[in-house]
Amino acid sequence: MAGKGKRGLFARYWPRFLLIIPFGLVVYVPFYNRLEPALGGIPFFYWYQLSAIILGAAVALTVYFLETRITHTTDSKPADVDASGTPGDIL
Amino acid sequence: MNLNVTAASVFIALFLFVTWVGFIAARWRKADLNVLHEWGLGGRRFGTVVTWFLLGGDLYTAYTFIAVPALVYGAGAMGFFAVPYTIMIYPILFLVFPRLWAIARERGHVTAADFVRERFDSRLLALAVALTGLVATMPYIALQLIGMEVVIGALGFPTGGFTGHIPLIIAFIILAAFTYTSGLRAPALIAVVKDMLIFITIFAAIVIIPAKLGGYGAIFASVPQSKLLLAPPSGGSIGDYSAYFTLALGSAMALFLYPHSMTGILSASSGKVIRRNAAALSAYSFVLGLIALLGYMAIAAGVDKNPLHAAGFAQYGANFAVPALFLDMFPSWFVGVAFAAIAIGALVPAAIMSIACANLFTRNLYKEYWKPHCSDAEEARVAKIVSLVVKVGAVVFILAIPHAYAIQLQLLGGIWIIQLLPAILLGLFTQRFNANALLLGWAAGTALGTYMAASRGFVSSIYPLEIFGLAVPGYAALYSVVVNFLVAAALSPALNRLTRRAGVA
Repeated sequence: MAGKGKRGLFARYWPRFLLIIPFGLVVYVPFYNRLEPALGGIPFFYWYQLSAIILGAAVALTVYFLETRITHTTDSKPADVDASGTPGDIL
Repeated sequence: MNLNVTAASVFIALFLFVTWVGFIAARWRKADLNVLHEWGLGGRRFGTVVTWFLLGGDLYTAYTFIAVPALVYGAGAMGFFAVPYTIMIYPILFLVFPRLWAIARERGHVTAADFVRERFDSRLLALAVALTGLVATMPYIALQLIGMEVVIGALGFPTGGFTGHIPLIIAFIILAAFTYTSGLRAPALIAVVKDMLIFITIFAAIVIIPAKLGGYGAIFASVPQSKLLLAPPSGGSIGDYSAYFTLALGSAMALFLYPHSMTGILSASSGKVIRRNAAALSAYSFVLGLIALLGYMAIAAGVDKNPLHAAGFAQYGANFAVPALFLDMFPSWFVGVAFAAIAIGALVPAAIMSIACANLFTRNLYKEYWKPHCSDAEEARVAKIVSLVVKVGAVVFILAIPHAYAIQLQLLGGIWIIQLLPAILLGLFTQRFNANALLLGWAAGTALGTYMAASRGFVSSIYPLEIFGLAVPGYAALYSVVVNFLVAAALSPALNRLTRRAGVA
């Protein structure tokens, strides 16, 4: 990463700021410590947190795809993170 | 309890199947298993799918499947902390661990202590990391046996005296044998079977059980109101709110520091595999959330009122809630499937944990202090033998010592393992911290966290911290790691200067 500077780092890594969202979803307990509105008989406390799992996964996936696009378009692939991925070993 | 023949036959058949899978795993992606990173890390060649199964099987253990719904069954909403916990582990996995993976791969590290040893050039700090990992993991392996013991008991096998322990001992001999021959390949392949059985069981449970109990509305309506929500703040205390969140956050920060999680991560074939799994592993979190709800289903089904289960509850306490629920709701053959899922669910993490302990012992104690120049083959052989010793230790532990101690040690293990966070995290991302300052921080955090747990009689890890007269009950691990970090940050500049001066002189 040497010589790329702060700007290059930001351009490469900005999607990672999105990863704060999953924390934000669960940090304020009073917000979801309630029964109503219930969903199909399931109190808010429970269905909200179950949905937050899915949102969290969606955020991680989004960051992954955004980063993939960035590394492909700007070719600023940092050597210390991605270099050793062996192509083709999906399974 | 009488032996449930149908369920026991299905259970034994599935168990024999995974035993076979465990042994043929040695031939899967054939390589020289007399090299430590081949035996203990599967050659770092697991792709996205295998890593998904392996980490899922590794992190969501049998004990989780028994204890989380048991907590919800007994304590209500507080037990649901497992859900925000698993939500927060994945951003951490995504941000931190691909970097550790890349460094470990390049430098040939097999354990976290290997990384710390080289990064800080400190044998003492590496020793602290290795010992903490070993001590925190041992009771965790023992707990897997509790999960297995509960389902074996629920199948109706006799549980009294020494004969009562025979099924468990057989299961562990099998486990020890295939771990010895196949290394990490065995739990990786078995995890595929285990995870599929778990998914089948849970999807059947969330469809069949609510249908029998009159829907989710009826289930929640039968749970006492006081259990459904956390206790709101009152009388100078934040109530359950801070405990709930700190428990989730602290557990999330600690999870990937455990040697068995580290082993799972380092066996991936690339950083990309790890980042993909940071999204994909959430599927297990969702299943865990559903499993937690089984605790309420057990309340709604009134399992504790069934006289057939009286002996089970007397012996295993709330941990018997889910097995009892399955016995009441499922046909016998499917009880066999569900219980096999839990028991095999114990084998996978127990195998990975013992491999992780073996890696730590061999690399960071044996090679570091006894035989610095031992050959690759000797290194792998020592690791294999240690994996056996660790498992014998776990069995003796669980048979000879009351279970309460294993649970308390596991609780302490969480507090101890989180103390590795500053050294590993700061080691990955900055150069400014001093090894000795981190060591002192580790000592301070470990001592404080242990004190906090001791002040609660080792039965709870929630410490009622007082801030300006307001009680903020929170997870002792989180409070103590903050102190650990502050000590390391405060002492680093001074100690760095000292070291530099010593270097000049």
